[in-house]
Amino acid sequence: MTNNSVITIKDLDFSYGGPKILEGIEIDIQRNEFIGMVGPNGSGKTTLLKIIMGVLTPDKGTVKVLGNPPSQSVQEIGYMPQFASFSRDFPISVEDTVLMGRLGKTSSIGFFNKADKRAAEKAMNDVEILDLRKRVIGSLSGGQLQRVLIARALTCEPQIMILDEPTANVDMKIEKDIFDLLKQLNERITIIVVTHDIGFISQYIHRVACINRTLICHPTSELTGETIENMYGSHMHMVHHHHDDETKQP
Amino acid sequence: MNSFIDAISSQAFMQNAIIGGILASVACGVVGSYVVVKRIGYLAGGIAHSVLGGMGIAYYLGRPPIEGALVAALFFAVILGWVSLKMHQQEDTVIGALWAGGMAVGILFISQTPGYSVDLMSFLFGNILMISSDDLLWIAGLDVLILLIVFLFYKQFLALSFDEEFARLRGIPVERFYLLFLTLVALTVVILIQIVGLILVIALLTLPAAVSGHYVRSLNLMMVLATVLGVFFTTGGLALSYQPDLPPGPTIILLAGAIYLLSLIITRFWKRA
Repeated sequence: MTNNSVITIKDLDFSYGGPKILEGIEIDIQRNEFIGMVGPNGSGKTTLLKIIMGVLTPDKGTVKVLGNPPSQSVQEIGYMPQFASFSRDFPISVEDTVLMGRLGKTSSIGFFNKADKRAAEKAMNDVEILDLRKRVIGSLSGGQLQRVLIARALTCEPQIMILDEPTANVDMKIEKDIFDLLKQLNERITIIVVTHDIGFISQYIHRVACINRTLICHPTSELTGETIENMYGSHMHMVHHHHDDETKQP
Repeated sequence: MNSFIDAISSQAFMQNAIIGGILASVACGVVGSYVVVKRIGYLAGGIAHSVLGGMGIAYYLGRPPIEGALVAALFFAVILGWVSLKMHQQEDTVIGALWAGGMAVGILFISQTPGYSVDLMSFLFGNILMISSDDLLWIAGLDVLILLIVFLFYKQFLALSFDEEFARLRGIPVERFYLLFLTLVALTVVILIQIVGLILVIALLTLPAAVSGHYVRSLNLMMVLATVLGVFFTTGGLALSYQPDLPPGPTIILLAGAIYLLSLIITRFWKRA
């Protein structure tokens, strides 16, 4: 562990009472890294994220987030879930949704204050949805809603952002926009993003954390079809594909 | 209609009824909006109906039924809240069992009290025309308590009803606030029982908020409009029932139900057009 470590996990095991979901996990994530996390469904990705955010406690091993136990650092993590876990017809504006990200950082009684509103405004500005602030969330497109969720994660002014498949429900044009945005944010924030589309995001990320009960980390440059195949097992088919605008081929 | 206005200006019971309706509308507008957006109408119905157990016991012991209602509402709010948090699988069955069990206890106790038949109907269907000045003080006090708690924990309640999972990740003690919220539902139920009786409570708790939800873009506005609609329904129901001498409780509910259906049809048509 160096001074620049933001997340350090050593020899971590986890189970929900039955077989081990995660075993012998070791990782050291540095400040301003951009980590892609991949693995088949049920491989323990979301479980590991929940441990990092202090929602679950490991059976064995140590987890330090910003040098502290996860439950003490969760306020410094901005989280964007895979699916919006709210109802789209809830009567709430974009601005009020983004303000939800201030929970845990703001005072525990009363209404949101001026500092909260400034933070929300800045977050909306960062993801370019300031003009939508008064819109009700039910009227947004899929891509706009993803941006709202990113803004909500950003508005706690996090040092770390964790995004669980941020582009699972949007088309490729929006996917690229969102990753361009994350790349900008990465200049000041450490980012962990769960994804299935490792081919596409390899131009953005520094390292890939491959999870399937155990964790193996690869620098992006080492990523080959074979490593992905090992991780997903023999049923994986690699689809080789290229994007016109790709800046760097792995 | 003129005779209704005459009655308001001359009869104390009519003034109490109008004021009672207005005070109750505050609680049902605020708490009802949460119930509607959080979609826990069935749970609220369980609290409302099982309260009869407490009212029956209080009646048997010669205490004011509202005291029994208050204790039972708070008790069942915590029990039902615990059930819905811990027993997702059988939540609806357990709520149904407590719902009916609470009512059965109440009816048994009332049946063992001499002269019960007179009061059973007013427990079940309420009587807004019988509201006393003491009742109004009770209702006003509960209103103040509900508003105070909602103002203090506005953010947590909003987060809880909007996105429980995210609220938990932000370190909000979700379970604790859920139970606190259900106690607000319980207090509101006790207020509304005075107006329309416990059978009809759930309609007055949800219909103003549901109509309001057709038109507003924020939870705050939803609460304000639901309160205004609550005043309109209670006062309008009273007015409609006065001349033909109908029971006001059911008239209030039918008015609210009719407006809700109308509003549903209009907004559906609107969206399609």
